Amino acid sequence: MSIDLFTLFREEADANGIVFYYSGILSQNAIRTMSDSLKQKLQTQDEKGAKSRKVFSTFIEMIQNAMHYSPDALGSDDTKEGSILVGQSADKYFVICANFIQKQHEPRIREKIDPILKMSADEIRQAYRTQLKNDQHSDDTISKGAGLGFLTLARDSVEPIEYIIRDAIGYDNELSYFYLKATI
Amino acid sequence: MTDIYIPATSDTPEINFKFSNNTLSMSGEAYPENGVEFFRPILRQLQSHLKSLSGDTVEFNFQLTYFNSVSTKIFYSMFELLNEYAKAHPNCVLLNWHHDEEDDTILELGQDIQEDFTWIDFNAIVLA
Repeated sequence: MSIDLFTLFREEADANGIVFYYSGILSQNAIRTMSDSLKQKLQTQDEKGAKSRKVFSTFIEMIQNAMHYSPDALGSDDTKEGSILVGQSADKYFVICANFIQKQHEPRIREKIDPILKMSADEIRQAYRTQLKNDQHSDDTISKGAGLGFLTLARDSVEPIEYIIRDAIGYDNELSYFYLKATI
Repeated sequence: MTDIYIPATSDTPEINFKFSNNTLSMSGEAYPENGVEFFRPILRQLQSHLKSLSGDTVEFNFQLTYFNSVSTKIFYSMFELLNEYAKAHPNCVLLNWHHDEEDDTILELGQDIQEDFTWIDFNAIVLA
């Protein structure tokens, strides 16, 4: 990449209200460091704190989701990769995360998110309550979390969460890219 | 039962479980890489301590400022344990629920805890 192109990249990011962007290896260490940086940045932008907290929560849920569920980076052993962005548009923040998924998991992800997209705020709250009480957190053996992640994102998002799944070029039928967006 | 003291890190809370005088406190933030792994031994010890008690008053100070969804679920089962103890020994569990006035997430969770675990005496404290 030429230096000129990088100036464009940076200026474009500024013009689109990007507060924070990371792309690379996802480890808990990297997450801790990013958390400190993001918190400082949010503190200087939002004195009230309520919104900052939700942005931070959304950031953590998305990046830990990416770390836990994305397959190992090609040719590596237990190395996860992903990209995450936090931005501001008028009075709202948005968080977008991208990571690889196994193509075979695509239906499972759709099954989990699609019902949430159709829910009202009250229904999301109810589903969250039900899942919180649920001991047997589903018969989904792949899920390592509490089954609350997507519902937490949906609860804090002022607009319905959005996602897209794209073919990962060069990975044939094995991998896809999963993009997830929440607006706070 | 030996007291538990674990200092806070940036992604795990301070755990100060003084079993010797039944004052249990947690503060800080909780978003460890593996929440179940971090909290399971602590919950096990809490469970066996509660089993050893017969009507002693237990005071729990919950003072976390952020916790992720996995930790939320674990805390819910921790309060379930305390509720069971309080059911067998009414008025023996006091939960001091500290929260920032503007933190509606933690406030709402407190309301859910209060609604679901009615044997626990719930005391909401707004952080100044």
